[in-house]
Amino acid sequence: MDENRFNDVIRELPRSFNEPPPPPLDEMWTVIEEAHFDAPVSISKPRGFASRAPWLAAAAALVLGIGLGRYLPRGANPSELPAPSAIAANSTTPTPDTSAVAAAYRDQTNRYLGQAAALLISLPARDASGKTDATFATKATDLLVTTRLLIDSPAAAQDPKLHSLLEDLELVLVQIARLHTEKNKGDLDLIHQAVEQGDVLSRLNSAVATTQSSE
Amino acid sequence: MTIPVSNFIANGRDLDQRQPNHRVNETQLIARVIAGDRLAGRTLYDTHAPRVYSLAYRLSGDAEKAREFTQDTFIRAFSRLSQFRGDAAFSTWLHRIVVTVVSNARRSELRMAREVELDEADGIEVSATEAEPDLKECISRAVDNLSDAYRMTLIMHDIEGYTHAEIAGILGVPEGTCKSRLSAARAQLRQELAAFKE
Repeated sequence: MDENRFNDVIRELPRSFNEPPPPPLDEMWTVIEEAHFDAPVSISKPRGFASRAPWLAAAAALVLGIGLGRYLPRGANPSELPAPSAIAANSTTPTPDTSAVAAAYRDQTNRYLGQAAALLISLPARDASGKTDATFATKATDLLVTTRLLIDSPAAAQDPKLHSLLEDLELVLVQIARLHTEKNKGDLDLIHQAVEQGDVLSRLNSAVATTQSSE
Repeated sequence: MTIPVSNFIANGRDLDQRQPNHRVNETQLIARVIAGDRLAGRTLYDTHAPRVYSLAYRLSGDAEKAREFTQDTFIRAFSRLSQFRGDAAFSTWLHRIVVTVVSNARRSELRMAREVELDEADGIEVSATEAEPDLKECISRAVDNLSDAYRMTLIMHDIEGYTHAEIAGILGVPEGTCKSRLSAARAQLRQELAAFKE
């Protein structure tokens, strides 16, 4: 094949290689609409867990508050605290030790990853009774809260691999959390497919190994 | 009279070149989707789905898979819309998702195919009377033999008409890398097709 003929082949590629049929827009939208807008666990507002589990949000806020309190200068009266502009200007202000925060984050991540792996491994291939579905859905809903807290944490933002794994886990957990509703029964196959396609389990194992080795 | 939102949205292909007010309207549309507005969701979908589907089909060569990839892309995108910061164009962000979805599925398929090949390696006889493939078949085979990075770049540039800047943004590589990948992909294609006699 000479140069000219090859150039013709390249020019013809849009018509000769996998030319797409018209997209089935309505058909695809039905699935998307049902998965997103009809989902009982809202996936349109991943961070809106506070409305569904206010006690958990309060607990998270409390833990965060205690954590922050431990790293604030001791004995400081709020009225005595310098203005933000003064803090910015003072280059000698000591920076708080963040190693304990990092260690706490690592522990939490490690525990969470273990729980997520256990849930995915124990997920049955099929469930005729529906009872197991409800149990898994509850566990998944609990894990979703932690997932979203971890996704939003600055440490996850610094680790793109973990961040991407958490996002994929979020999607899988949302699907599991929806299992308890009547119309989503039988979605187990889809969940297993999603776990397999995203290579979620092996990524989870590798993430667990990484966090454990960094301890 | 209310003007439909879709009137403000340019075709997905031209998103990066749109006027600033169009961008603003897309930002408003995204905010409405985050708030749970189905109509806004459908408008955003109608704007981008044809191009997403087209790319998914080119990359997979299968209508059923392209459908699943497109659905998965939009479900993922809508669920993560609140994380879209607007640093890149929405179309770039969306195409990053479809490329990831297709790549993950392809990797999984290749891994399974390799396992099947190993299991069935014994006892397979190669037919000596296999018909000579035509050019279209040879091209398909040659494109499929390219590495993922080369294949993706060639399909996006030479077949789907994305610019190097767009591909670079979607794949997260410098434009120069994109250009060199395309050149290497074409060279490999030329080599594979060299033996073809018409």
